[in-house]
This record gives sequence, C-alpha cells and structure tokens, in this order.
Amino acid sequence: MEHHSNTFLDNASEALKNSGQAERRDKIALFASQIRTAAIDSFEGFDELRHHVKNIRQHSLDNLDYYLSQFEKEAVHNGNQVHFARDSEEFNSLVLDICQQHDARRIAKGKSMVTEETGLNSFLQSAGLNVMETDLGEYIIQQAGETPSHIVSPALHKSANEIRELFQQKHDLGPRELQKTSDLVAEARNVLREHFLQAEVGIIGANALIAENGYSMLVTNEGNGDLCANLPKVLIICTTIDRVLPRAEDATAMSRLLARSATGQSQSCYTSFYSGPRREGEIDGPLETHFVLLDNERSNILSSDYREILDCIRCGACLNHCPIYTSVGGHAYGSAYSGPIGSVLTPLLTSLEQSHFLPNACTSCGRCAEVCPSNIPLPDLLRDLRHEEGIKKLSAPRWRYGLKLHSWLARHPSIYQTLTAISIRILHRLGRKRGGFSRLPFASGWTSQRDFPAPQENTFMQLYKAKMKQSNER
Amino acid sequence: MSGSARSEIFSRLRETSRGETEENIQRERLSLGSAPAPTPPAPENCQAFILNVLKNQGSVDCVSNRSEAVKAIAHYLYAHFHNYRLVAGNDPRLAAMPWRDAGVLPRFGSLESGEPVALSFARLGVVETGAVVTWTSKANPAANNFLPEHHIVLVDKNDLVLTMEKAWERINHALEKTGRPRGINFIAGPSSTAGIEGELVYGAHGPHHWHVILLGDIPVDAQNIARAATKGQS
Repeated sequence: MEHHSNTFLDNASEALKNSGQAERRDKIALFASQIRTAAIDSFEGFDELRHHVKNIRQHSLDNLDYYLSQFEKEAVHNGNQVHFARDSEEFNSLVLDICQQHDARRIAKGKSMVTEETGLNSFLQSAGLNVMETDLGEYIIQQAGETPSHIVSPALHKSANEIRELFQQKHDLGPRELQKTSDLVAEARNVLREHFLQAEVGIIGANALIAENGYSMLVTNEGNGDLCANLPKVLIICTTIDRVLPRAEDATAMSRLLARSATGQSQSCYTSFYSGPRREGEIDGPLETHFVLLDNERSNILSSDYREILDCIRCGACLNHCPIYTSVGGHAYGSAYSGPIGSVLTPLLTSLEQSHFLPNACTSCGRCAEVCPSNIPLPDLLRDLRHEEGIKKLSAPRWRYGLKLHSWLARHPSIYQTLTAISIRILHRLGRKRGGFSRLPFASGWTSQRDFPAPQENTFMQLYKAKMKQSNER
Repeated sequence: MSGSARSEIFSRLRETSRGETEENIQRERLSLGSAPAPTPPAPENCQAFILNVLKNQGSVDCVSNRSEAVKAIAHYLYAHFHNYRLVAGNDPRLAAMPWRDAGVLPRFGSLESGEPVALSFARLGVVETGAVVTWTSKANPAANNFLPEHHIVLVDKNDLVLTMEKAWERINHALEKTGRPRGINFIAGPSSTAGIEGELVYGAHGPHHWHVILLGDIPVDAQNIARAATKGQS
C-alpha cells in the first residue's frame, strides 16, 4: 500500500478535527478494554498462558528455518503448492499469476493484514480482476475507497449513517430504509453471498501455520473467511514466514490469547484449520490450493534487536489502549499497521527515514506493554527507534538539541534541580494571582488546548528533602 | 521467482537460526509443555459445555437417545418454519437416525440455495469453549456448516472433551487412521459481526442461529440449565 507515515503530524492534526470519529474511537476503546478485562479476569492462568505462548513463539523463531521447512514439506504432502516472496512486488505477482492461470475474473477475499501491507487489491484490480473484500468492515472501506483504520475493526471510523449512505449509493437495489444496523448487515450479506457463489478464486490470510501437519489456522467471527476457503475452485492462503508454530495445540493456545485480547471471547465463532485441496469423494472445497509466504524484511527483523515484534498476534489490544491511537485514529499513521504495533513495525518494514514520526507517537504510558498478550516490550522498542532516529539526525534540529540538553541535565541532577527550582519559583510568582497561564513560551501545544496551572512554590525534590530532614531530626 | 526467493529466504533464516539438530529442537519443544486452560464454568462436563454454548449465543436441547433427537429436531423445525425439512450430510450416523419417528424429511447432500437449515453430527464438543468440532468430508460438506440460516449440530456426550489440547489429541488419533481431512472447523456460535459501530449482529455471512443437541445420558442439572435457557428464549 502507499505509505503516508512521513506526514503523520499533519495527518494527526487533521484527524483531531473530526470529533465524530474521535467519539466513536473513545467508545470502542472503552468497550474493548472492558470486555478484554472481563475475559482475562475470568481466566486465572492468563499470565501463565502469555508466558507459555511467548516461549513457544521464541522457540519457533529461534528455529524458524527448521519449522518453516517442516511446514513446507507437510503442506506439499497435503497437496498444496507453496510459494515464497521476498517482497510485496513478488508477492502480488505470484498471486496474480495464480489467478491468471485459472482465467479468474472474480476474487472473494477474506481479511488479511499481509495483503493490506502489500497492496494486493489495487494490484489485482489494475490487472482487471474484480476483487471483493468479504469481511464486513473491509467491504465497507473498500466501497468507500479507504484503508483500514484498525487491525481488527477496519471500519471503526465510520458511523452507521455514513455506511447507510454508502450502501444506498453503491448498491443498486431501489428505495429502502436500512434503518437498523442489522438491515445494513443483511444487505451486505446478500450482496456478498452472490459474489461468494460466483468467485473463481478465494484469498484468505492465516493466523498461524502448523509445522507438524501443514495446516493453516484461520480465526473469524463472521465466517466469511471460511466461505472464501470452501466455495471457490482455487484457494490462495496469504501470510508471512514468521507465522509458523510447531504443533496444532500451540496454535489453539495462541487462539486463547487472541480471542480474549481482541474481542473478549473465549473462542471466536470460527477457528478453522485447512490442509489442502478437496479430498476424494468430497462434494465441495477448492480443487487447487496455494500458500504464498511473504518475507518483506522479516528475516532481517529476526536478526535485529527488534525480533520480539514478530511475536505479535494482531489482536489490536495495544491500539485500543493507546491514548495516541484513540485520539488520532488509524489513518493518521499512514500505513497498514497503526497504533503502537504499527509505530514499531512500519519503520522496520519500510525505513526509519520514511516513518520516523511514528515511534514518537507515544506518551510512554506503558499500557500497550501491559495489555499485549505476547508480552512485547512495545515502549522499549519505540524508545530504541527514537534513539536511532536521534543518531541518524532524522528529527528536527530543535527536537534534537532540546533532547540533548535534557539528557545533559538529567545526568547533572544538582544543576537540573537548581534550574527547575528557579523556573518553578518564577512561574509561581507570575501565575499565583490568576492560578494559571493561558500562554507560555515553548508550551503552545499545551496552552492552545488548556491553561497551564501555576505551580506551587517548591519543587518535589525541595519538599522531599525538607521532609527527609525533618524525619532525620526526629 | 519463487525458487530463488525460497533459497534466499532460507539462507537468511539459517544465518539467524540456532542450528540445532532436529532431535534437540523436538526435545526443547517438549520441555515447554502444554498451555494452561481456563477453569470450566461448572465441575461437570455436560453442564459446563451447555453453559458455554449458551454464552456463545447458541441454543441447546438435551436428549437421551436418537429417537428423542429426531423429535427435538422436528420440534425445532416446526417452531421456526412450520415444516420438517432440512439438509444433512451423507453421514452414516445421520442416515441411521429414526427420522420417521417424528416425520422429519432430511435431504442428504450439500445445502443448496433456498434451503435454510442444515444438520451436522459433530466429531467432538469442547467443554472449555462450548465449541463443536466438525471436519469436511463427503459426510459433512463445508456448505452445511457455513451457508444455512440455521445450523443444527448433534453432539454425543461421549465425544465431549475438556480442553482444546484434548480435542487435538483426539483429532490427531483419528487423523492417523483416516488421513488428514481438508478442513477441521471449531464452531463456537452463530456467525456474528461487530463491524458497524461495535454493535453485535448475528448472521453476518453464515448461520443466524446455532442449535446444539447434546445426546446421551445427560445429568439432570445440565438438562435443567438447557431447559431454563430454552424457556427464557421462547
């Protein structure tokens, strides 16, 4: 897909003007966080499970050449064709080749972040193929000509009214009300059912690949991925090389984390394992199946200090708990992956030069790390990327000099404490009558939204020292 | 293209790999053990399974034998459609049901346009999640799981397993005998979406309704839970 991460600041400013979208994000973030908490509270061993899955992921990545090779062998044994792609261009060409070999015109596509990453839809469409997204959220944004704003809920930014207008405009179905959300869902279901039945090729993603038996695991609630996997004559499963797990039980252990972290369920409605083409005597299912496995920098990430980012299971919990994401939404990030995970992954998949603003989209509150089911130290990885940004001199000079000054002061605490004591005293004297400041030099980002409260006369360190002195005298 | 890509990718992976022998890798995986599972909502398996099916927005009937199962299916069909028609896969267990006992008229095969109800016989039921497990075959076409408006699933009490790990133990055992099926489906509720403003709607693409019939010697307490829920839904 086209990347706009280099204009993150402008994108974010623009997003903040849309109060309707911000309100919806606030509601969803609150709701998502509550259902996640409820699901986790009712599972006593959740932390133990996190730890177990983390160990399995690390073990898989430590031996990825072995497990990927084992998966390939088993998948081929099951009747699949397995393809490898170094980058997005190769990946898209491989998928198009398969479609063209079958003279396919209609493609039914399930939700897949990998294909968002490679921009597969527009590539296939430019070759004349009719590609229809079938996940409801993905279908809505495809009709609107937009990109996903959330990993799990791609159309989170759109209101029901906007979707109603969109369907009225796009579906030539005559006058109708579409008052309730269920009416909108029913209309999309009917339109897409036709497409499912006529599609020659189905494309789905995979939440995991299982080395021991060559199956892929697909987790959905709508069941659209299963229709894509079972109805068309050709199935293409698109995922990345790092998704391999040793055993089937490892994949279901991961699904325990995924369902609870993403939607607060104990299991998603459909957790399906697919092994290959139609077996003898079967009356449905694809006649030909392909795996297209993308690297796109992942083998490089594996050998870097950022390898833990490959543990991500795409649950979206870090997005739902991030104050930056909930304020500016997914589109501001300008890439397929948004929120804290996107702020780490996008610079690694593209380059820090292209997306160095993203690691700065962080308040260091640490909530993303707390809720991450894969225990990825997201704030640490973001900080490391910011450090690299500084070394490469990618940020504006005033930021760099400011940080250098701050860093020097932090290493000279007595000077730091003296300077802050002087500043606080001045601010206290200037602001004590009004109780706050509506304008301050170097703080317009704060004061443009709210007053800066006048500080008390003493700093924390002064009060602390005084208190310690008192208690020592006693 | 894919061949050279494969070589290049594997070459890079080998550089980062620990380069352990297969034996050591398998030994290390074994040492990591199994994942912890959640505590079921009731100590008895049937009760816990029923509670989880209900939590997944399914409906449940408990029956003690195949004749009663047919009657429960007939009751469900009449309550929703005022007829006794459905589609069932060519599963010998379904073919052997005493359909005449309740006048049910199954058509054996794959669901076709205009047919709203399909019946499957689950291979397993998973207590931990309230999911049923089916796999695709001549006896169970995938369309019957994913296309109907109403999906009715029979589960034998003897096929209940406590956790997903236990389910895979049973599946792997079966796979050794019969080979790997094309699709193994854990189904835990009707098709649903929260894609529009987070509002939960059932019947996104697949079934609007998911009805589980638990077959066997079901403890009275479990039957009471199912009965109370049915009363509440009607």
